Amino acid sequence: MSFNRRAFIGTAAAAATLRAPMVRAGSHGKPRVVVVGGGAGGATAARYIAKDSAGEIDVTLIEPSRSYYTCFFSNLYIGGFRTIESIAHSYGTLASDYGINVVHDWATGVDRAAKSVALAGGGRVPYDRLILSPGIDFVAGSVAGWDLTSQNAMPHAYKGGSQTELLKAQILAMPEGGTFVMVAPPNPYRCPPGPYERVSMVAHVLKQSNPTAKIIIADSKANFSKQGLFEAGWEAHYPGMITRIGPDFGGENVTVNPAEMTVDIDGEVIEAAACNVIPAQKAGHIADLAGVTEGNWAPVNAVDMSSKVDPEIHVLGDSAAQGDMPKSGFSANSQAKVCANAVRGALTGSRVFPARFSNTCWSLIDADDGVKVGATYEATEEKIARIDGFVSQTGEDAATRKATYEESLGWYDAITSDMFG
Amino acid sequence: MPVAPRPLTVALALCLGWAAAVTAEEETEIGEILAIEGDPEYGEYLSSECTTCHQASGSDAIPAIVGWPQEAFVVALHGYKSGQRSHPAMQMIAGRLSDEEIAALAAYFGTLAP
Repeated sequence: MSFNRRAFIGTAAAAATLRAPMVRAGSHGKPRVVVVGGGAGGATAARYIAKDSAGEIDVTLIEPSRSYYTCFFSNLYIGGFRTIESIAHSYGTLASDYGINVVHDWATGVDRAAKSVALAGGGRVPYDRLILSPGIDFVAGSVAGWDLTSQNAMPHAYKGGSQTELLKAQILAMPEGGTFVMVAPPNPYRCPPGPYERVSMVAHVLKQSNPTAKIIIADSKANFSKQGLFEAGWEAHYPGMITRIGPDFGGENVTVNPAEMTVDIDGEVIEAAACNVIPAQKAGHIADLAGVTEGNWAPVNAVDMSSKVDPEIHVLGDSAAQGDMPKSGFSANSQAKVCANAVRGALTGSRVFPARFSNTCWSLIDADDGVKVGATYEATEEKIARIDGFVSQTGEDAATRKATYEESLGWYDAITSDMFG
Repeated sequence: MPVAPRPLTVALALCLGWAAAVTAEEETEIGEILAIEGDPEYGEYLSSECTTCHQASGSDAIPAIVGWPQEAFVVALHGYKSGQRSHPAMQMIAGRLSDEEIAALAAYFGTLAP
């Protein structure tokens, strides 16, 4: 082997990885990690810590659902490109192959002094490190006239599963020429292109089953993710079907009436045949209960996703206020691996490598018309900071768009294997 | 009995075919990376960024990347980093990998059975 100067400097830098102070368990045997939330952040973190520590760390995953329906690709279910079964995942492999203690229960509180998590079913689970990855909850009162009791009439369908099935059934039951209304969320929210991919998938369904139907989006945001790509796609595939009312035309001044199935947009009352209300969002409630939120989100240190309030709690994914990364399953999965490496290092003295993050979001506009946006990120003192990125271009040829869609199918299989084993 | 080409053989053939078009400068750069003894433990950590999209078994649109000979792996990543190979996501990911990190990834993935 020959060493040149560049190689030597690089190797020295790679070797200078951080070694965190080791916190071995005292009287209670192995160090214990408790993960709350079994989605893209939590399931990935639990799996990596269990896999890489090879039995040195006890990992407990607390997740109420026995089947996890991914929010990513739920729009493709609405559009008829996936079955609901194809986006459902079990925790069986995490338990059987990785030795993770999977507890199907709700975490109802965190005692930070005693370092334990309370369960709805009774009992407490002690931890040396706690990882919270609870996804989103909704900001009460953010859409006038809507609350959680309205979610049967006007589903949010922004957590995967029964809400998604309900919304799809309501779209398929729309009378001929009826109007689908979406109330789009304000920033920041889970999956920035999600509402607009959903509109695309609703249009795809209606174009076949109900071609005179209309779609109206009430949107408080001046701009949205991949806007040029979506708007060009809507014009090409669904001409005249979709109208977006932005803040310049009163799109932020919305009141819904779920009992009457009407939506008032800046004084104009629309009868909705189906209505999808996606409210403003905040960190999953357990983050509030743990006392690690400031405002709607939980601020974290970029280097290891540890809470800025409590260094023995880490917050992943949608719930974290981390800087520049979008709230996405890909981001949560990426953050989970950085966190897992750091937590394992802190508890067992294993090598801790520099944080690095990436994200890509694919969206489907119509059959074989996929687009994507992605970026890489690094940890700074202040936040997770964007380094570099790419985005699909308007006017790409059909072969490129088809390849992008097919790539998203490969990604789905890979990330769900990365999460659930 | 006719034997179907193994994916690995195809991948290697593609790499070698492409390698014929590299400049002397690129050949030197690839040689420098191959001269580095990769740190497989660091490579395993770095590989977690790959596995979000690349399954061990591969898919129609995203290839498997386990079990490649180190040289083929280095040639491919160097190609994306230099822009010779076109794929926006791979150019972005490879673009921030140092030579040592490419060597670490090649060392790690090379240890895995395809």
